[in-house]
Amino acid sequence: MKRVLTTCPYCGTGCMFYLVVDDDGTLVGVEPSTEHVVAKGQLCLKGWNAYHFVNHPDRLMEPMVRKNGRLHTVSWEDALDHVVDRLGRIQAEHGNDSVAFFSSAKTTNEENYLMMKLARAVFKTNNVDHCARLCHSSTVVGLAATFGSGAMTNSISCMEQADCILVTGSNTTEQHPLIGSRIIENVVKRKARLIVADNRKIRLARLADIHVRPNNGTDVAFLNSIMNVIISEGLQDRRFVESRTENYEQLKRVVSGYPPAVAADICGIPPQEIIDVARMFAAAEKAMIVYSMGITQHTHGVDNVKSCANLAMLTGNVGRPGTGVNPLRGQNNVQGACDMGALPNVYSGYQKVTDPGVRKKFEKEWGVDSLPRQVGYTVTTAVNAAAEGRLKAVYIMGENPVISDPDQNHVRAALDKLDFIVVQDIFHTPTSDYADVILPAASYAEKDGTFTSTERRVQRIRKAIKPLGLARADWRILCEVARRAGYRKMDYGSASDIMDEIAAVTPIYGGVSYDRIDQVGLQWPCPQKDHPGTPVLHGGSFSRGLGMFSPAEYRPSMELPDEEYPFVLSTGRCYFHWHTRTMTGRSQLLEREERFSYVEISPEDAAQLRIKDRDWVHVATRRGEVRAMARVTDVAKKGVLFMTFHFEEEPANLLTINALDPVAKIPEYKVCAARIRCC
Amino acid sequence: MLLMKSLTLGEIDSLLRSLEPDYDVRVPIRLHDGTRALGGLDEGPLALAGGRIPQKITSVFFPQMETVLTMSGAAVEMQRPPARQLFVAGFTAQDADCLEFIDRFYGENFRDDPYFNKRRGAVIACVSGRCGPDGEFLKIAGKNCDIELICDGEKYLLAAYTANGRRLAQKAGGREAPGGLPAKLQTESDNLSTDDLELIRTASRLLLEQKVPDEFWQTISDRCIACTSCNLVCPTCTCFDVFDRKCGDAVRRWRVWDSCQLDGFMREASGHNPMGTESLRTRRRIHHKLAADVVRWGQLTCLLCGRCDEVCPTGIGIKAVCREMVAKYADAG
Repeated sequence: MKRVLTTCPYCGTGCMFYLVVDDDGTLVGVEPSTEHVVAKGQLCLKGWNAYHFVNHPDRLMEPMVRKNGRLHTVSWEDALDHVVDRLGRIQAEHGNDSVAFFSSAKTTNEENYLMMKLARAVFKTNNVDHCARLCHSSTVVGLAATFGSGAMTNSISCMEQADCILVTGSNTTEQHPLIGSRIIENVVKRKARLIVADNRKIRLARLADIHVRPNNGTDVAFLNSIMNVIISEGLQDRRFVESRTENYEQLKRVVSGYPPAVAADICGIPPQEIIDVARMFAAAEKAMIVYSMGITQHTHGVDNVKSCANLAMLTGNVGRPGTGVNPLRGQNNVQGACDMGALPNVYSGYQKVTDPGVRKKFEKEWGVDSLPRQVGYTVTTAVNAAAEGRLKAVYIMGENPVISDPDQNHVRAALDKLDFIVVQDIFHTPTSDYADVILPAASYAEKDGTFTSTERRVQRIRKAIKPLGLARADWRILCEVARRAGYRKMDYGSASDIMDEIAAVTPIYGGVSYDRIDQVGLQWPCPQKDHPGTPVLHGGSFSRGLGMFSPAEYRPSMELPDEEYPFVLSTGRCYFHWHTRTMTGRSQLLEREERFSYVEISPEDAAQLRIKDRDWVHVATRRGEVRAMARVTDVAKKGVLFMTFHFEEEPANLLTINALDPVAKIPEYKVCAARIRCC
Repeated sequence: MLLMKSLTLGEIDSLLRSLEPDYDVRVPIRLHDGTRALGGLDEGPLALAGGRIPQKITSVFFPQMETVLTMSGAAVEMQRPPARQLFVAGFTAQDADCLEFIDRFYGENFRDDPYFNKRRGAVIACVSGRCGPDGEFLKIAGKNCDIELICDGEKYLLAAYTANGRRLAQKAGGREAPGGLPAKLQTESDNLSTDDLELIRTASRLLLEQKVPDEFWQTISDRCIACTSCNLVCPTCTCFDVFDRKCGDAVRRWRVWDSCQLDGFMREASGHNPMGTESLRTRRRIHHKLAADVVRWGQLTCLLCGRCDEVCPTGIGIKAVCREMVAKYADAG
């Protein structure tokens, strides 16, 4: 029996725990770390069960190559040669940008760095992206424009210090449970004020001082109206606005068009609720905004994010403990995957690919000429390009777009059109059904590396057991691909060596090394070896100098209910499952808790349609129809349906719309028009 | 007859190492980042002081996940007892009381073989005295264990209570403490506050007399995030789920800790769930230990180890809930 300290592979909270390994090398449990700054000896249900899927017999254990329509087991040498050969031929025929690389927020920083290095230095394309596109790409864009840094401004410990917390579009206790618990503790013990602005009556709403339920997709109108009230009642922080921000006059002008009576009409809530929220938020000494995908996953996701930033600046709630704009990052390492430049427009540390100086620096460091200059495809535009025949091959590491991307029929048609697909993963998925080559990867418990949590904390994961079967760590596979493609500068003795290279080329990670994060992770920016890390961003000044008010006008969602499809369908996750259920579906208790796809419907709507709790129903949109079990609950607002996207058997993403934010290219998962009927 | 010796930490370490040929020795150790756990002597430095270890100590006999049998073709191989019997140090007095209860639970009506495979012949060592967290005095157990290491602030007094314990104690170095347990230590232990015991006894009475309304449980369950930690760290929680998993050509049947705080725990095949609301489940957790078990087993089965209060992220461990309950309803007549 041994115990190995590592970081949870589920959400971005970044709890550390010990994996318990028995004498056979099987994971048989976890023990929370009592010393970890976030976990504090605690875990959520998924954390307690995070060991369970690792030794599952479904694990991919051998490389496979498709021949004559069927997958055959092959040697690593044959599989890797095949990958390099096919990608090379396709690029020779169709150009470098005919190939795209999907990196993974479930893998380590080191692996994301290598994936983007492989794409850029070896295959000479900026077509590299990952699932942050689907969750927080609007945050990265929106907060970079307003503050100069697209990350959570504060630390998780700040949740315990805020006097007022506005939670909007985040079901915090289910999706970031230990962060949600800090909010509950603050509300119960310190009597902090809690405002929940969410269509669903989530758990936090039960404890809230005010719960407002605006119509889905009306966030800009709602937030503008709050600012309208604050300005018209003189509640803004004048000193902060004058000394720390710019473009205030434009904000004032735009929000003047959203008096409560006007916004209330758009949002479907009483005007007084907007006034109450504005007064409560503005009155707090330390007020904090916490948001997640209810804000980001819209065709106006960037506008939503900017509006949150505007509200925080207007009330002087940036740069101090207990305040800030706090987007909660979903995946264990989605922050890190962005930091590492697994994005089509930036290298690691958000250094732009369009900047000649930056390109020159990476050319020198990586020993290559002519790095690509054009911004590449995003995950979402790559799928569109594949459907249109402009993209010919895709190398997918640890992602499952068939289940996670919007409009499944569109995704399937796109994958069908591709000439070559590599899937590198730990389990078969509906996406690997399309693979020409499958490369078996090691799980988080079988390799060393780092994850960066939502509070920008770079933390260790550690190898607790040997990779199962012939599986290999993703970073070792990527290095092998690079070597076979003729590139010599992707050869490392350990994951620590990769981090040393990351630190050398990435200013915000400049002071990070394994010896410094052996027990406690560091929060970036950490530019030098003696820098203690940065718990709160934008203290003295914003990353961009002055904070930029970036007001937006309300734009309706792309597809609104009508006579034919009278409901709004919103999608998300439940507490027990993780994303496409590849891991939680193989964890005994988690799978038992939620075995079927379900749809939340309000008691009023259910009564009208004669739908009873646990009835099987059909939910349809213009894209398709799926079955789901009805969950009649007051969590759902009248006129709104909510489904989770976890279930491949009844995929909610068959229903969602492939409509994207024009800048961030994030899909509008939170609003489309639907209808529901009994089976 | 009570055998008592006075030992330094070094002598305790030597004693523990001398047991290793015969026993699988598990003791409180400090892991990589300072977290205390029950582990082998080579897994980390000995950390006797510091009070209860954070995880349920009874996990040594009832681990989070274990194979209970293996099926290969027509052959079924049941779990076997370990090659070496266990020597487990680190029980607090409350932990030892918990162990006494689950020995009853797993032994009286049905006999849980996987539990007793490990429990049978195991040597139990309590740790007490002036070695709690922040200088806190840990209650002297005096029972429900084979030996006890009682810290007097400098050294540990080793008290052996059973024949097995005396046999092991005789192997220990150190010097005999002929005067037995100093009265001062026993008095300090006897004078420890019994407020918590009074608290849960009062709470138990309120529950048995049905003086706690449903609204109370709703307010508590509103704060529960269903992390299940309260169950998973509780030394008297004994529930598990069973599942089968292929392993090469064989199939292994495992059991894994389960939690009454989960909806699926009680859901019937029909879909009906007699514990289908959060407030019912929250009530059950506490009602079970303070009321149902009093009727069923004749005792409270929260023995005040304190782990659920420590681990609950939202402050609704059993003592915290009892405090709220008693404050609200104890004077209601």
